[in-house]
Amino acid sequence: MQSLIVQNVTKTFETPKKQILTAVNDVSFTIEEGTIHGLLGPNGAGKSTLISMISGILKPTTGHIKILGIDVVTETETTKKLLGIVPQEIVVEMAFTVEEVLYYFSGMYGVPIAERRARILEVLHDLDLEDKMHERARNLSGGMKRRLMIAKAILHKPKFLILDEPTAGVDVSLRQKIWALVRRLNAEGTTILFTTHYLEEAENLCESITLIDHGQIIKDGKLKDIQKEFSKNMIHFELFNHAVSHMANVQMSGNEYEYPMTALGTDMAALTAHYGDNLKSIRSEAASLEDVFLKLTNRV
Amino acid sequence: MMTGMWALYAREVKRFQKIILDTVFSPIVSVALYLGVFGVVAGGRTITDGAHSLPYITFVYVGLLGMMMVNSSFSNPSFALIISKNVGNIIDLQLVPIKAWKIGVAYALAALTRGFLTLLVAVLATVWFIPGLGIHSWPYLIAGIGLTGIEFGMLGVSFGFWAKNFETLTFMTTFVMQPMIFLAGVFYPISTLPGKWAVLSQFNPIHHNINIIRYAVTGYSDTNPFISLVVVIGVSALFFGIMQFVTRKNLRV
Repeated sequence: MQSLIVQNVTKTFETPKKQILTAVNDVSFTIEEGTIHGLLGPNGAGKSTLISMISGILKPTTGHIKILGIDVVTETETTKKLLGIVPQEIVVEMAFTVEEVLYYFSGMYGVPIAERRARILEVLHDLDLEDKMHERARNLSGGMKRRLMIAKAILHKPKFLILDEPTAGVDVSLRQKIWALVRRLNAEGTTILFTTHYLEEAENLCESITLIDHGQIIKDGKLKDIQKEFSKNMIHFELFNHAVSHMANVQMSGNEYEYPMTALGTDMAALTAHYGDNLKSIRSEAASLEDVFLKLTNRV
Repeated sequence: MMTGMWALYAREVKRFQKIILDTVFSPIVSVALYLGVFGVVAGGRTITDGAHSLPYITFVYVGLLGMMMVNSSFSNPSFALIISKNVGNIIDLQLVPIKAWKIGVAYALAALTRGFLTLLVAVLATVWFIPGLGIHSWPYLIAGIGLTGIEFGMLGVSFGFWAKNFETLTFMTTFVMQPMIFLAGVFYPISTLPGKWAVLSQFNPIHHNINIIRYAVTGYSDTNPFISLVVVIGVSALFFGIMQFVTRKNLRV
């Protein structure tokens, strides 16, 4: 089943000079239930606008968005209950303690009073914030505030979690903890939409991605398929002794050689047979997400 | 989802309780100062509407309580929402699965709670200095306090969502709310105003809130209290409509 369906969604804004600005232009993609999906794109690509529309904050100018089959425009309150959202900006209640923030916020999502305290303790434990429970939220460090925002988003056990750059500006250790939490929530059945500027993070976490730029989708699909498509189709190898006769189409590239790949297994076997013990190393090169991103956004 | 609305209401009550010196006790200082000044100036003057006669200080006192109720109810949601906009946590209201009108009602009920609490503390602190006080009509008192708190709570919600920043809100408070409060007959019977000004005052909605509360406590009224009650109910319905429109427009762009 599809957790999210975004169908021909466009969002336009009128600027103060009465010009029409198209932030998202005829975007369509789906997210399978129980997956981690990355929404990637350069700054100003339209990611946040798209997330705001999925969250029910912004109304699409045209098109439809459905969460678990429910329309976000006509049944906003129902879809909001299914969603947990960690916004990009770190904002906390000024006057309240961590416990109070979570107590009232979970209440606003309909968590009954009798269940709230146990749920708060569970989430704070997961996010290593138990000892900060009675501290004022505004006195927390940046990383702790980020964790508090994640805690707010998962208190009501959402079926669909949106994390808008949750690891921006956090240290390596916390980033690892957030990754572990994301994987655990996903293993428990939560579908996750993840935006990040760290492409290795998307590579590590996401099964599928949607890459957008200038408000339009430029690539969408399984991460592995995309990487395969953009791999350079070259086999790289190194030799101990360079003074040998080479197979046809072999070219030198720095200290190693390149051979254009047609079928990986056959080509590897042919190279191994030809160079025998003279072969120092051999590998095929897959495209990194960064390569794909730079190529598709024309930033190379 | 009523749980959500009540959780938001409880959060707003907790918020003003956290700064209770500012939200509840500081308005009482203003009332005490007004009373001190008017007590000295008025001396032993009395006010009469033909049927009832009451000391001027009592007349002003009840008006001041009404004014405090209007101010407290209005400022609670309007300032809370402007602060939320400035801090950025207004996004919480945009994300939660609560209908826009229920968000407005939760804020308005919290405003009523603050207004009532402020009124209660003010009465307990000052009632001992005011002669001839009692309750003339409990139904009018309950309706007057309840409707005033809700009505100006809803107006505060509308202003809070509508105003872009503190300056806009302060401007509206200074140039709209305060003149309306001062011209509502808090400090003088509107029947003492020259002809057209007395009629014009009838169009000031705050006059009717003050009039109901004053009638409920003292039995004195500038305008037929039933007419005032009808006006207050009508204005409350209007403010509810405005609040619903403004809230929905601001939570869903």
